[in-house]
Amino acid sequence: MANVIEGLKYTEDHEWISIEGDIATVGITDFAQSSLGDIVFVELPEEGEQLEANSSFGVVESIKSVSDLNTPITGEVLEKNNTVEEAPESLNEDAYGAWLIKIKITSTEEIDSLMDSKAYTEYCEAN
Amino acid sequence: MSTQKTALFEEHLAANAKIVDFAGWEMPIQYKNLKEEVTAVREKVGVFDVSHMGEFFIEGPQSIDFIDFMVTNDIKSAEMKKAIYSPLCREDGTVIDDLIVYKLEENKLMICVNASNIEKDFTWLNSHVSKFDCKLTDRSSEFSLLALQGPDTIKTLKSVELGFTFEDIPYYSIQVGQDTETPVLLARTGYTGEDGFEIFGPHAYIKALWSKLMTAGVTPCGLGSRDVLRLEVCYPLYGHELIDDITPLDAGLKWTVKLEKSDFIGKAALASYQPKFRLLKLVLEKGIPREGYNVEKLDGTKIGEITSGTMSVILKKGIALARIDKNLYSADDEIVVDIRGKKYKTIVNKKPFVSGGHK
Repeated sequence: MANVIEGLKYTEDHEWISIEGDIATVGITDFAQSSLGDIVFVELPEEGEQLEANSSFGVVESIKSVSDLNTPITGEVLEKNNTVEEAPESLNEDAYGAWLIKIKITSTEEIDSLMDSKAYTEYCEAN
Repeated sequence: MSTQKTALFEEHLAANAKIVDFAGWEMPIQYKNLKEEVTAVREKVGVFDVSHMGEFFIEGPQSIDFIDFMVTNDIKSAEMKKAIYSPLCREDGTVIDDLIVYKLEENKLMICVNASNIEKDFTWLNSHVSKFDCKLTDRSSEFSLLALQGPDTIKTLKSVELGFTFEDIPYYSIQVGQDTETPVLLARTGYTGEDGFEIFGPHAYIKALWSKLMTAGVTPCGLGSRDVLRLEVCYPLYGHELIDDITPLDAGLKWTVKLEKSDFIGKAALASYQPKFRLLKLVLEKGIPREGYNVEKLDGTKIGEITSGTMSVILKKGIALARIDKNLYSADDEIVVDIRGKKYKTIVNKKPFVSGGHK
């Protein structure tokens, strides 16, 4: 069973979001990395890029597939995790440690609509 | 159309396979880990259930004449018990399918065709068979088919109870294991570039063999690793490198078109044909090329498209085959692949990305 961490927010596309003040850190969940298999390529947006909620901000690729990364949050990219781009396998090793990007939050409503760990666990079980 | 299942479907579920629809069949795409499956085949031994593929039999005095007339490669000159890879073409030289012809006896051939083309191939062959003294039968539903591939194949086949004596036959040849109503046939062929055997047989026999191979520690491998393996050694796949409206000469298969042999369907067209395309082998230092991505010159001119692409498990780099417009490309051109709007440098390989260990 995939690992779900309490205190994080989750999307239906299997991204996790951690909130600290007005900064959201986004990554992919353990469920996502395990269904993708060996992750061999990650492409992330540059700092300063403006993201729209529910749009693609990059991709993760396994040997056989390409998957979009989606942001549930509108805002500017403050930082991207270069380590993950250089070592994509770190997403398989530690999905919650290998964060992807940090976004400056502009709307708290977007956060309220996300799933908590309990809702996400049920969502994963149903899928 | 409802999907079909192979006789080994329950075995795949028991081995935790991820199942996908492939050409109307519910097939295992992957078991535990794709990388481990590829590595097993390159270094030890793996087994694929490819029972979805089609088996046709041609029997009668003119069996060889018939198939020699239908396909572009030379069937007549090949020795008995040989396997011959060949395209099957229309009068205008375009490709209907690629297949393997097995010369079982003077009056008996088997051909193995792609699952997605069974009906198309049978209809085509059947529309020409009446001019020859032989009978064509689609016996696909009688057979299951396993591909046992990798350097430890021989060792494995010697260690399991086959029910007959295993012979170490040459590469690209076939032997009859059991001459039962639906026979057990062992061919030293495959789609991975490694040494290996494809074993055709009745469902119950193949089911029992699968379980013996699992007990012997052979890695079950899915269609995902099969695709990576064949792409690493640059084998074409119908629907990708080979498509309905190109000729074998557009896809690097000149060696399979024997213009010097007696008449065959497509001969006249192919004899005078100037290829429009060539197939390039591309390696990327960074980025993974995928089917449909554009291949361009540095000035942005599109010269072709990726037909198959993946991350190579062995090279750990992006590799691809690309169909390139012959008139837009010359050998010293620098080319790039467009991946989501970014241009990635690519090197054109002369040889396959990985050299398989087949005999």
